Amino acid sequence: MSLAGKLLTCLLFICMPLQVLGWDWQTKVSVSVKDQPIRAVVELLEKNYGIRFSYSRDLVNLSRKITLTVHQQRLKTLLEDLFGPDRIRYTRVGDLIVLQPPSQATRTISGYVQDGITGEKLPGATIWSPSLQQGTVTNQFGFFSFTTTADTSAVIISYIGYQPKWQQLSSQNKFLSVSLESTTNLEEVVVSAAESHKLQNQTQMSKVNINSADVRSQPKLLGEADLLRTLQAIPGVSGGMDGISGIHVRGGSPDQNLILLDGSPIFNFSHFFGVFSLLNADLVKSTDLYKGAFPARFGGRLSSVIDITLKDGDMKQFHGDVSIGLIAAKFDLEGPIIKDKTSFIVSARRSYPDLLYNTVVSLKDGNNNSSLLAYFYDVNLKVNHIFSPKDRIFFSYYKGEDKLSVQESEDKSAVVDTTRLNTEFNRFQMGWGNVVTALRWNHIYGPKLFSNLTANYSQYAFNTEVGYKYALPGSNEMGDQYGRYYSRMETGGLKLDFDYRPEPTHSMRFGAAVNTHYFRPSVSTFVDKGSNVTPLDTAANGPKNTAVELLLYAEDDWQLLPSLYANIGLHASAFMVSGRLYHSLQPRMGLRYMLPNNWAVKAAYTHMNQYIHLLSNNGTALPTDIWVPSTDKVGPMTSRQVALGIGKTSNKQAWEFSLEGYYKTMHNMIEYTEPTGLLTADVLRWDRNVSIGKGWSYGGELMITRKKGKLTGWLGYTLAWSTRQFPDINNGHIFPYKYDHRHDIELLLNYAITKNWEFSAAWRFTSGSPLTLPVASYEGVETGSPWDPSPNGNTPVDKYSSRYNYRMENSHRLDVGLTWFKQKKTWSRSWNFSVFNVYNQQNPFYYFVKRDDVEKQRYLAKLVILPLLPSITYSVKF
Amino acid sequence: MKKLHIFIYTLTLLLIAGCERKVDITFSYEGNKLVVNSLIQADSSIYVRVTKSVPVNVYDESAFRELDNVAVKIQDDSGNNIPVSCQQIFGKNYFVSSQKATTGKRYTISASAAGLSPVSGTDTLPAPPQIFGAAAQRTFSRITFGLKDYPMAENYYRIRLFKSDSNGTIQSGLLFRLDPAFNNNVVDIISASPANSLIMNDKRFDGRELTFVLQAQDPLTPTSYLMVEVTTLTYDAYQYLKSVAAQQQNVGDIVSEPVRVYSNILDGYGIVAGINVKRLVFKVD
Repeated sequence: MSLAGKLLTCLLFICMPLQVLGWDWQTKVSVSVKDQPIRAVVELLEKNYGIRFSYSRDLVNLSRKITLTVHQQRLKTLLEDLFGPDRIRYTRVGDLIVLQPPSQATRTISGYVQDGITGEKLPGATIWSPSLQQGTVTNQFGFFSFTTTADTSAVIISYIGYQPKWQQLSSQNKFLSVSLESTTNLEEVVVSAAESHKLQNQTQMSKVNINSADVRSQPKLLGEADLLRTLQAIPGVSGGMDGISGIHVRGGSPDQNLILLDGSPIFNFSHFFGVFSLLNADLVKSTDLYKGAFPARFGGRLSSVIDITLKDGDMKQFHGDVSIGLIAAKFDLEGPIIKDKTSFIVSARRSYPDLLYNTVVSLKDGNNNSSLLAYFYDVNLKVNHIFSPKDRIFFSYYKGEDKLSVQESEDKSAVVDTTRLNTEFNRFQMGWGNVVTALRWNHIYGPKLFSNLTANYSQYAFNTEVGYKYALPGSNEMGDQYGRYYSRMETGGLKLDFDYRPEPTHSMRFGAAVNTHYFRPSVSTFVDKGSNVTPLDTAANGPKNTAVELLLYAEDDWQLLPSLYANIGLHASAFMVSGRLYHSLQPRMGLRYMLPNNWAVKAAYTHMNQYIHLLSNNGTALPTDIWVPSTDKVGPMTSRQVALGIGKTSNKQAWEFSLEGYYKTMHNMIEYTEPTGLLTADVLRWDRNVSIGKGWSYGGELMITRKKGKLTGWLGYTLAWSTRQFPDINNGHIFPYKYDHRHDIELLLNYAITKNWEFSAAWRFTSGSPLTLPVASYEGVETGSPWDPSPNGNTPVDKYSSRYNYRMENSHRLDVGLTWFKQKKTWSRSWNFSVFNVYNQQNPFYYFVKRDDVEKQRYLAKLVILPLLPSITYSVKF
Repeated sequence: MKKLHIFIYTLTLLLIAGCERKVDITFSYEGNKLVVNSLIQADSSIYVRVTKSVPVNVYDESAFRELDNVAVKIQDDSGNNIPVSCQQIFGKNYFVSSQKATTGKRYTISASAAGLSPVSGTDTLPAPPQIFGAAAQRTFSRITFGLKDYPMAENYYRIRLFKSDSNGTIQSGLLFRLDPAFNNNVVDIISASPANSLIMNDKRFDGRELTFVLQAQDPLTPTSYLMVEVTTLTYDAYQYLKSVAAQQQNVGDIVSEPVRVYSNILDGYGIVAGINVKRLVFKVD
């Protein structure tokens, strides 16, 4: 194309709004010419139908003479007949049809997209050729490879929250390092997206991207912005009791979520029993949630993938952030170690109410013999170094823990009763947490091939310790006892991933991994220093297992026809444990077909396998739950999911609309036949105490998102069913499972009032979950004869019939937040005022049958938590 | 177990100020059903109590009243019907067999009443426990006794501790637990608070002779007598007593699923199960 042609194309593209005008590809046209050049048909179309063409007469030859008569024919068909023989390419840009000469050769450009100020690499940024209507996106490391026609003169590079960049390409351009300027400010939350960010241009369905601004702009609970709660506001995702305690995706259990922190799996994603995420939200660069249509590169869990990418650290200058809220204080610091070569980011967070409590108690009592420590903390460190334009390494480390410690010592000033046991020292400690560390190496082999090698280690541990010293002075009886109970799950492995972009119509990924899993659940030890008696061994330690998992995958994002796209993949895995080998081939397929008016219809089929089970015997996921591998009695869980949906992003990219339906079957689901208590005592034989069954989840999800302007946010609606069937439960009948919420509505709004003020609101509605209540009471018995002693009497017994025979009440809640922000020359500060549960809705957390001996009644009672909770947070950024 | 649950949620509730509310709901009711309860003791008359179920919201335990015109039948595994008579003991009606139950036999108890479905339950009797050597020292809190487990079989036990006189007449029950120093199960230490009975199986000591060490909640007083009661249980009796204890512990527990109480009564509620009690009375030295 000549320079004039390029300029004309560019000018027209920039100036013309991308909106639907008076015609589309389906418009019926009638034309009749006899022995005329093609140009004559073009002119007739312009004159009679207002369809304007743009082309360079030097490059596009329209002189071939034709004889043509069509009546009420589709415009698209006519153009195919008209230009096809000469291989003239035509593309719609706005209300123009741009004509281009036949493609002669291709070229590949590759490179990184990064933040212009910090150098932070941007995953998911779009590289788009408007003339070809083709593009690609950067991978998790900000790398892209785009094979296009040799005459491509420019591409647009864009990323959410950044100013799109028009990048001219010269013949020398093969490797690009593109810097984008952030546009996010409080006056207007500008969220820009280029063509391939439009829903209709992505074959991937059932995926939602959450950027850090989405998380930070939400109303805060006790002063903490939180990724977990933002995820729970996505259609198809729900929380546990009163919106806390875990994530359930499309009727799946919390253990069926593959949560990846920079590519490393995490086994427990929350602090404080599910109230807060395990991660400081300020560190998160981007989060992708997959509810279905899983790409072949993911595996090992049934219901979702939550792929969290953390910030890498500023390559150019130092930055920091300090904030203090009602429950926790935190800081982060990032900056270059060697400018433009090596950077770091470090952060720490700790909750502090226990410190206040101890201070208050100490001040009040003066002589305090007891202490309480109850807190969570997490620390993050990430270092990355650029060896060369083709090589880069990342080291990351995360440790987070919840701790509870109660310690009491004897008050020596008190008079000791020598006839009773006297406690000298009593200590109880409980803690659980994750350690995740990874070393990754990015290497670019050439413009079309990128690789990432990851070595990672992840551990989840729950630990309880007791120390007890006592004396019975009257008889010199003494004890000095120490006991410990712990469970640990570890995973370490190597993974090699490749990105290969051979041509515009193919985008391939393939790779392999080997992981070793180490299970050490439910280990109990006890010593009594004051005794030499061999204890009666009533402890059943859990099975110690080591398992090896191998996986291979390949996937291709493939343009089959001009309007038909496919993502085809295969995930193969093998799992070896205790001399047994499990293996599976998991096909993955996604299809996209472009409809008129830029609507895309999408379909997907996925098969997933999960080799590990979480033993949970409670109404909600708890830190005490333990992971175990499949056994010969309980095989791996499997699921098959089909999804069908339509999606569209409006031409001005202000609105996004998606509607999806799904149907998922799950096999080898486990459920305890009878409760066994909080700590599973008989872990050795756990597989004999569970029933193995099936599950079904199906429903529809609607999401309407406002992405641009002063007012942003989304409205989500979910209609869902989740049922299960176990031979030993409910007489083998199918029953609604505890994650069966029929209706979920989420409305999240964020409004930039002025340059300094921002308002946010979130309203959620969830219909009641299934609940098990008794259906009768009757007299019990304790002894063989009424003459025998019966300290409890004949205690009444409650009869339970079917599981989940009732439903809880519907829950709804409004949270609001107001942020004031002030930007100074080198630093900024902000105050956030949030109110959680504004109208103090008394949502049920848990139900139980209460025996009220004062009122002499038995009735159903509900425990209500999370009432109206105002909070305030102060932050300083520099 | 509750101790740990309390620890787990203490902080949550303290900070988030949970509160309790009455819910206006009508419990569904499965309808009136016959309840048959009989723990059949070897070498003893069989006591059968027959009552009627009530809706969940009924508070008054006296609602578990006896029914008029109830017919109770006890049959052994030879098909012999054992005569029963209705007797009032401590103000409650019991159907009492005229013959003593014998170890090794299987008994079936049936009951019927007008307007209700007839019900039945059946079970055998276990062998007596082999216990010996109970002892305790004054001012100490530990009680020891020996138990020899039957090998090659799954055995189930219930242990209870009482204050008694020298003749074995029980005065009161005592709260106790397995002494952690002799138990080696830290889960019990964390979770088990003193209780008036301990129900267990022999999976950890199958066929062994061992010494149990119980720790009473309070130090033992001198010159008093104690009684250790060990009951062997059939599988049905074990499942029933264990699940009743679990359901009682579970009331108001905010994290656990409800516990279903085991029943072997067809078309009704309750339990018919065999037990075998042996008691050791000893003086605190």
